[in-house]
Parts: sequence; structure tokens; C-alpha cells
Amino acid sequence: MLRPSRWRPSVRLLVIAVPFLWLLLFFAVPFLIVLKISFSRMAIAMPPYTPVVEYLDSALTLRLNLGNYAALFADPQYVLAYLSSIQIAAVSTVLCLLIGYPMAYAIARMRPAARNIALMAVVLPSWTSFLIRVYAWIGILDANGILNRFLLWTGLVDAPLRILYTPTATYIGIVYCYLPFMILPLYANLVKLDQRLLEAAYDLGARPWKAFVRITLPLSRSGIIAGCMLVMIPAVGEFVIPEMLGGPDTLMIGRVLWGEFFSNRDWPAASAVAIVMLLLLLVPILVFNRHQQRQMEGRLA
Amino acid sequence: MAAAPTDGTHAGTHAAAPAAVDPERYLRIEGVRKEFDGFVAVDDVSLDIRKGEIFALLGGSGSGKSTLLRCLGGFERPTRGRIVLDGQVLDPLPPYERPVNMMFQSYALFPHMTVEQNIAFGLKQDGLSGDAIAARVGEMLSLVQLAKLAGRKPHQLSGGQQQRVALARSLAKGPKLLLLDEPMGALDKKLRSRMQLELVNIIEQSGVTCVMVTHDQEEAMTMATRIAVMDQGWIQQVGKPDDIYEQPANRFVAGFIGSVNLIEGIIDEDQPEYVTVRTGDFPAPIYVGHGITGYEGQPVAFALRPEKVYIGKQEPDGDNNKARGTVEDIAYFGSHSVYHVRLPSGAKVLANFANMKRWDSDGITWNDEVWVSWDDNDGVVLTG
Amino acid sequence: MNPGLGQRMLRWTVLGLGFAFLYLPIVLLVVYSFNSSRLATVWAGFSTRWYGELLRDRQMLEAAWVSLRIAFWTATAATVVGTLAAMVMTRFRRFPGKTVFGALVTAPLVMPEVIIGLSILLMLVSVGSMLGIPSKGMVAIWIAHVTLTVSFVTVVVSSRLQELDRSLEEAAMDLGANRVKVFFLITLPIIAPALMSGWLLAFTLSLDDVVVASFVAGPDSTTLPIKIFASVRRGVSPKINALASLLIMAVSLAAVVGWWLMYRKDQRRRRDMQLALQENA
Repeated sequence: MLRPSRWRPSVRLLVIAVPFLWLLLFFAVPFLIVLKISFSRMAIAMPPYTPVVEYLDSALTLRLNLGNYAALFADPQYVLAYLSSIQIAAVSTVLCLLIGYPMAYAIARMRPAARNIALMAVVLPSWTSFLIRVYAWIGILDANGILNRFLLWTGLVDAPLRILYTPTATYIGIVYCYLPFMILPLYANLVKLDQRLLEAAYDLGARPWKAFVRITLPLSRSGIIAGCMLVMIPAVGEFVIPEMLGGPDTLMIGRVLWGEFFSNRDWPAASAVAIVMLLLLLVPILVFNRHQQRQMEGRLA
Repeated sequence: MAAAPTDGTHAGTHAAAPAAVDPERYLRIEGVRKEFDGFVAVDDVSLDIRKGEIFALLGGSGSGKSTLLRCLGGFERPTRGRIVLDGQVLDPLPPYERPVNMMFQSYALFPHMTVEQNIAFGLKQDGLSGDAIAARVGEMLSLVQLAKLAGRKPHQLSGGQQQRVALARSLAKGPKLLLLDEPMGALDKKLRSRMQLELVNIIEQSGVTCVMVTHDQEEAMTMATRIAVMDQGWIQQVGKPDDIYEQPANRFVAGFIGSVNLIEGIIDEDQPEYVTVRTGDFPAPIYVGHGITGYEGQPVAFALRPEKVYIGKQEPDGDNNKARGTVEDIAYFGSHSVYHVRLPSGAKVLANFANMKRWDSDGITWNDEVWVSWDDNDGVVLTG
Repeated sequence: MNPGLGQRMLRWTVLGLGFAFLYLPIVLLVVYSFNSSRLATVWAGFSTRWYGELLRDRQMLEAAWVSLRIAFWTATAATVVGTLAAMVMTRFRRFPGKTVFGALVTAPLVMPEVIIGLSILLMLVSVGSMLGIPSKGMVAIWIAHVTLTVSFVTVVVSSRLQELDRSLEEAAMDLGANRVKVFFLITLPIIAPALMSGWLLAFTLSLDDVVVASFVAGPDSTTLPIKIFASVRRGVSPKINALASLLIMAVSLAAVVGWWLMYRKDQRRRRDMQLALQENA
């Protein structure tokens, strides 16, 4: 019955190869192509850009057009858009953390039966169309919307606030959509926290707030990092929310990319915008990467 | 009740042992060493295990016993050395090709399968016919007396029942070697004592060779025919339970098994029929009624089990093997009491005393002056 | 240690405000979907006309059908690939390139969607013809969506795999099953709920995506989100409210049913364990 296990190594290889090849081909390699096209120039052709590598007169020529990158640095609009994106993403992340941490903490402390219901309640909105929920905010934040009518009715303001089509609306939208992404990793971390550590702290004379700052907060660091990365990094490149809720004043790099691609039909310019965005996000992405990998492998404290 | 085949015809196997294997060395562990990133878990262990015996690896955590067991099961590969079972070298074989089965500490019963399906699992992997499998499963269920619970799932069983299913599952294939990983670890104390004997009965009935791992010395002494005491990756002593208890090889074993009084001293007279040990703890030298391999002036430890110590208010006869002290503490265990006697030298001697009389008010109590004494051959001289 | 009343009130306030924030837009959507007036901000009486109009909108319904099909195939492919990736991350020993593998698996979790959409389109335009894949169309959307969602499935499944008692898999190997058999006979049945979660997650993400799909959708593969986005830009229409409400009600129903089934299963389990304990007492 001692069947030889000769075929086993190839099964192992297959299991590694399938996801590896898929992601390599459709996630990693495309970045290289974007890089290549960022050095090209817009053209009326199919595909709508000039070739970067050409075979002319028996010579392989490489034409690296740096005009797209030059434009990015020369035109203040681009620079502003990058900075604005980072600012909006960062502020939204902090807001998400301030709202999400207390919620995650409260849920983690509930009885197990209640916890599951609460978690489901947090995740449920995400199962419905994100697009439509953002659209709902248009109705809420409008000059005649619910929010303004409520404020007027309570007398807190005299005239309707202009929130819609301003950066403020974008903040609200991003926080709203990304909140579950902050709550879930925080919750996963906080729920594993041993209550007895806090009890020991109280026993030794620490007041609740101090115990929180000295014990709970540091121990939930991993959840905080995960949550912040999960919100901030994609938020930098966010398109739909600023497009629907922010006005022309809300400069975000995602909109710039979209505009270059769909409105200007300038694929090389869009590529350059993408590459610079990637470079900006490279370090946070690597930090998140390492953190997430270690967690998946189970080596994280 | 049919016994599980253990003559090499592992159910479904047709590989018989090539030549006659010495039953005294049925399982040979030869110079096995296992390292993890520089940490040596098992340090050059060699053991010969007899066919059909129940052999215990006894040690604390970090002693290497579990690692060694996993090497036997195929879940770890030794860094050096080899393992030979019934003439077959096991090392290159993965767990699913070894004629070895293990009962896990957590039982590892498949939660999505019934008791029957759990027991049948291994037999199905061998490709037996449905009828053969059903027959064998029936045998196993009778063996562990769980025939009525065949259709239940693991979460519908109590801890003791789960253990029996796990045992039946690991015996179903009639392995040449059965491994038990802390078999009583998950049971409460009352259940433990009962199951220890039941388990031994079932294993002996099936005749399989068994290696078990435990940190509980009582368990090892009750269940095993021979014990290997392990510490920090290597074997301190191998022997039958009573040998290990009464004749420990060194201080570690003496202290690990049961409680012991260890008195440091130096050999005074070294004769073929007796030995005397001079020590600062007793006024007169200790007289040991048998010879030892040692030399005069050698520093040794004298090991004396508390149950061998007499305690009383009268001074005993003889010049040696007695001392006077004060009762400092009494630990009451219901069936017996342990008296902690403080000697003038500062050393403490433990003496066990069975509580043969109820409410013995004439007995010894705290701060009493007492004499402790023992017979010439009740203690052991340890050189290691 | 029981939290004091003050602490508990604080907790409920926090949760109350948080959930109100999360659910306000949803509640408003549903309410206004029954508004007989076109304006989303003025209530003019109860009406179901928008539902009727929605169901008569052929293009909308076709787009919905396209989205559902893509979402189904995306979820299925992402679950397969994602589970394989999760096995590699949690069960395989280190091998040269595992760090790169890990990076490839975790990066899509945070990559901005505009970058994913643009890069896949450009890649399909450049080399798609070599692979026989048209650069725009349902297959392209499917590829893009799988790439987008596979990491999420991996996270869900690997989390479950880590919690799984390794001795179950070792016991199966000990009893004679090789690793492939162990996976299909033992691991897979036990982690099945996590696979289901992953499938649903990928399904939702695909169904909901507008950015990535916009880059690779062709004229005959308009997805529902693309249609909604275009429609919203033209002006607020209560038909969208109706659509949203239908979605919300469908999802809520599924969630409640799912929760109730799990609850019942849990109750039964607990009862069984109680019985087993009592029997042996």
C-alpha cells in the first residue's frame, strides 16, 4: 500500500503557481505596462499613444518621452491635487479612527451574542451599493436636504449651510464609506484583548482612563495600523466620492487621472499620474504589506 | 473479541517484515537528534522498545518528549539519527505511509463526521471494501464499548467518550506502533484514574506496542511497563516504574518522581557490604547496608523517600540513621500526613505517616520534639 | 468586572450615534423611494410608481443582469484562487519568493481602484491580443474584478485557517490521507463557512464596483453601477432610490435569514453538548 508520493511536489507547485501567476500577470505586470506608457505620447491612433520601443532602420530605438512627468511637476494644479489628496485622506483617516475606535471598543466589550449582531449591523451597509449610499448623501447635504432643514428647524443656523459640493462633503463621504474598514480590524484586535490585564491594572491602582492609555491603546496598535492603512491608502486615489459630493474645489488625484483618461483621452498622461501616485503610496503600502503578511502567517503578537 | 493484527499485517498492507526482528528491539530509536533553529529539542536519544510493551516518555515541558513522539509519528524529521520499526526505517516516510497511529491530546476528532465515520476514516484511506470497513468499525466500537453511540458527532459526546473514540480510531488500522500524546490531559482527576486502567486493558488486549508521552509521573507509573525520564532533550533514566522509584539514577530523577529527602554528604567508609556517609545534617554518619561503586571522600547525595522515614517521640535504638528535630509543619492529606521536621543543622526531613487512627490526639503535632529514623537499606546513595 | 452604569450609558451612546450615522442615508433612501414626488427632498405622498418605472427600464435591468453574472463568476474564481493563496500563506513552509508572493497577495487590498482599472486596461490593450482576450468586455471586467477581490477572500479564509486546529489535519495524515486528500476531506468541509463568506464578499465587491469596470467595460457590457453612475450625474432620480431600496431589502433579508440559520445551528449544538454532559454525570 506504500504508494510513492512522487506527485506531491508538483501539487504543491500548482497550489503556489495559480494565485502567483494570476496576480503576477494581472496585478504586477500591468504596473510595468503603465510605466512604459507613461513615457509615451498621446496620439490619434489605436491604441491612442505612440510606441515607446520601435524597430526603425534595423535599430531598436527607445523613445522615452518625459513630457508627462515634466507637466506633473510644472503645473501647480497637479502638485496641489497630490497634496490635497493626501491631506483629505489623512484627515478622513483620523476622523474614521476617532469615530471607529470607540465603536469597535464598545462592540468588543459586549456579550458574545450581542457582539455578532452589532458586527453584522456594522457590515450590513457595506453589502448594499456603495455608489447609491454616496448618492443618498447628496440628498442629505443639499441646501434643501435633511441636514439643513434640521439645522434650520432647531435654529442652529439662520441660512442653509453650503456643504454639498465642497471638500467637507467629501470628508463626510469618505468617513461614511470607509468606517467599516476601520472598525473591523480594530474590533478583531480589541476582542482578543484579555480583560484580566485591565483588571490587574485597576487592582494596582490605575484609573480607567490611564489603564486605557497605558494598556489597551498600545496593545491595539496592530489593529490601529491595519485600520488606518486600509482607509488612508485607497482614499488617496478615491474618485467616486469627490466626484459626486465634492465640487470643483475638491482636488483629488483620482479625479485628475479619470479626467486625463476619459475626458482628455490622454492615456500616457493618466499613466504618469498613476505612477507618481504609486510612488507616493509605496512606503505606506509596504508597511501595510509587511504587517498584513505577518498577521496572515500568524506571527504577529 | 478479536485482537488487532499486530504481526506486521497492518490492515491492507502486504509488506511483511523481511527478516526476523528481535522482539526486544522492535522499535529502535538510534541517536535521534532534533534541532529547531539552533535550539536542541532532542539530544541524541537512543532507546530500544520491546514488542507489545507500553513505554512512557516522562518529563516536564521542554524536556523533548513531545518532539520525540512527533518524530515517531512522522510530523517532525530528526536532524540526525534514525528510527527503525520492525526492521523498517521510518524516517523518509511521511505520516500517511507509516504503520504508526497516534492518539492526539485534543483527540482531533473530525467534527463534521460521526463516530463511525471517524473510526472508518483510516480504513477508507487504505481502500478496503465497505463490508470490511463496517466489520472492523464494529469490532472497534465493541472494544471501547461505544456501539450505541456510533451515529453521534463528536460534540454530542462527553470527554471520556471522545477519548474512547479517538483510541478506537487509532487502533482501527492495527498499527505496529501506537502513540499516545498526554492521553489523560483533557480529563478531570476522577475520570483519569479510571480511564488509565481501562486504557491499559484495551491496549494490552490488542497487543499493540505503545509509546506514550506524559508529564504526570503517576500516570506513567500506573500505565507503563517501562519509563524513560527525560530532561532537556536527553534521557536521564530508563527502567521499570519500581526501579525508577526505588533506585533513581541521579538527583534529577529522584526529585522528579514522587517526593524525596536529599541529604548531601561525603563517603566516609567504602566497604563491599556497607558504606557510611558523613554529613553535617545528622550527628552520626549515615549507614547504608549495601556497597556502592564509589570511593572514599566522594561527594554524594543520600536519597530517602518520606514513606520510609519513621517518626516518633521515643529515641530509636542504634547509633546511625536517626536524628532529632522539631515538627515545623504538618500537611494533611486525609489518608496520610506529611511531617516537616526541622533538624538542628537547618535541614528539613519529610516523613509520611499514614493516618491509621481517626482523630489521633496522642499523635504528633506542631513544635513537638521528635526522632526521625530509617532502616539501613531504605535509602539510596546517588553519585549523579 | 461589570461596567458601571455610566460606562454602559457611554457605550450605548457611542454605538447609537455611530449606527445612526451609518444607517441614516439607507433609511432615507428607502423612505424616499416611496415618495410620489420627483424631488428627493420634499415628501409628497406615498407611491410605488418609481418601482414600476424601474422594472420597465430595460436598459437598467439588462445592466443588472450583466452585473449579476459577472459578480457570480468573479466570486467563484476569486474564492478558488483566494483559498489557494490562503493555504500557501498559512500552511506552506518558507520557500524562495514567499515574500514576493505575500506582497502580491496583500497589496490589492489597499491599491486605489483607479490604478487597478487603468493598469489592467493598458495591459489588456498591450498584450491582450496575444492572450486572446479582448481589452474591453465581460471577460475583461471579470479578470479585473477577480484581481480586485481575490485578496479579500484570502484574508477571510486565512483567518479561518489559522484558527483551525492543526491536529485535525495531522490526525488525518496519521490515518493515511496524503495532503491533497486531507484538504478535500477534512480542511475544506470544516472551513466551508469561511469560503462562503469570502464568496459573498467577492460577489458584493464585484457587484458594487464602478471605477474598475468603467475602464474595461465595452459597449455591450455595461454594468449596473456604471449605469447608475451615469444616471446620477444627469440628475437625481427616484428610480435609483427604488433600486437601492430593493437591494437593501434583499441584502437585509439574506442577512437576517443567514443569521437566524446560524443561531439555530448554534442552539442545537449547545443542546447536544449539554445532553452529552448530562448523560455522563
